[in-house]
Amino acid sequence: MADQTAKGEEFEKKAEKKLAGWGIFGSKYDDAAELFDKAANCFKLAKNWDRAGSVYIKLANCHLKLDSKHEAASAYVDAANCYKKISVQDASQSLSQAVKLFLEIGRLNMAARYCKELGELYEQEQNLKKAMDYFEQAADLFQSEEVTTSANQCKQKVAQFAAQLEQYPKAIEIYEAIARHSINNTLLKYGVKGILLNAGICQLCKNDVVAVTNALERYQELDPTFSGTREYKLLADLADSMDEGDVVKFTNALQEYDSMTRLDPWKTTLLLRVKNAIKAKEEEDDDLT
Amino acid sequence: MSEVFDGYERHYCEISASLSRKCTSAAHLDGEKKKQKVSEIKTGLDDAENLIRKMDLEARSLQPSVKAGLLAKLREYKSDLNNLKSELKRITTPNPTQASREELLESGKADMIAVSADQRGRLLMSTERLNQSTDRIKEGRRTMLETEELGVSILQDLHQQRQSLLHAHSTLHGVDDNIGKSRKILTTMSRRMDRNKWIIGGIMVALVLAILVILYFKLTH
Repeated sequence: MADQTAKGEEFEKKAEKKLAGWGIFGSKYDDAAELFDKAANCFKLAKNWDRAGSVYIKLANCHLKLDSKHEAASAYVDAANCYKKISVQDASQSLSQAVKLFLEIGRLNMAARYCKELGELYEQEQNLKKAMDYFEQAADLFQSEEVTTSANQCKQKVAQFAAQLEQYPKAIEIYEAIARHSINNTLLKYGVKGILLNAGICQLCKNDVVAVTNALERYQELDPTFSGTREYKLLADLADSMDEGDVVKFTNALQEYDSMTRLDPWKTTLLLRVKNAIKAKEEEDDDLT
Repeated sequence: MSEVFDGYERHYCEISASLSRKCTSAAHLDGEKKKQKVSEIKTGLDDAENLIRKMDLEARSLQPSVKAGLLAKLREYKSDLNNLKSELKRITTPNPTQASREELLESGKADMIAVSADQRGRLLMSTERLNQSTDRIKEGRRTMLETEELGVSILQDLHQQRQSLLHAHSTLHGVDDNIGKSRKILTTMSRRMDRNKWIIGGIMVALVLAILVILYFKLTH
């Protein structure tokens, strides 16, 4: 692959020369852009991600000078793809530039998609706050394009991060809105119980027993089939054990549910928080007596 | 000294009372239970006999005055014991038909222990099998729930794809309209180009004619 690198460098040098010199009819940017494209391709083949990324960025600059924002934005996206393999920081930078350009052109759909990608990048880096912001932006953009499923998916992620960051009311609101929306849709109504379970767990984390029981009743009204499901049973048991402050009952209910379907890490973290809260309350009561 | 004798006496009274009770109850039973009772009664009788022998020794070692009274009591107890023994014999061999019947069925007694062991083994096996079925059902339920989750996610994907298809559909309609418009514009452009060509051609022809006329006038003058 060394020859690819050599070819790429050649193309790059030619393109730079074109830019530096005086082209005919001002078509130099066009030619330079073409050459840059070929160069970046060669670097990609040589797996030289760093140089490929930088060439793509130069390409984007050319397109900007040519006032073709669309092409520039695509070039930024390509750069981000190359940088993803090496450094997330650069990738996120190029992606955010791409998103800005798409917003300017008015291609909200693509902007939303790349916002979502940005959010996922930050999620990988465990930077939940920024990830949440990007997902929210993506959800808004999707909503304005009436692509409700993607909007709902992004909103779900937002709620997930909100709950992890302990912003429980926000998470609960989002989950309930999604659930209400999904019930009307024949395709999505089977997923409602999962969403209501998540909402219920967030309610539990708020440590307010009355609110939990009210919420359970509300969910009953929302979805008539909810009361028959194991999720409802689990939530009712957890609410009872929280009321009585009985950690053993809590753990038993969880074990029963877990034996059928494994609990995913997000749920496990939140439920652990609830369990610790119950234990702390129990110890507090013991201290008082 | 007589305290020991009294103790033995009381013990014997208890045993004889229970033995007589057992005899009457055993008379109503038969088969396995009867044999159990009979063996119980036999052990009871042996105990009673031991007690009487001990009482006898005690009595003989005592004073002659007390001795006589105690020995009399002892004789009574011995006859009582003999009654019990005959009672027992009566029960164990009530009548010949019963006895031969017992003997016929008794041959199965050796197997019965094996049979009961076999029953126990079978019960254990069926319990084991029930447990296995329970486990299998639980496993099946778990798989079903996983499949349900999978189905839900597939439905979500389908919903998303449906929306993108609809979006693409409307976009294509837009593209269709735009293409129609651009075709019209292109035809107008080409028409205008043709018109311009004709106009320029006409102007050129006019100019050439004018030049020729001028030349003609110039040369003829």
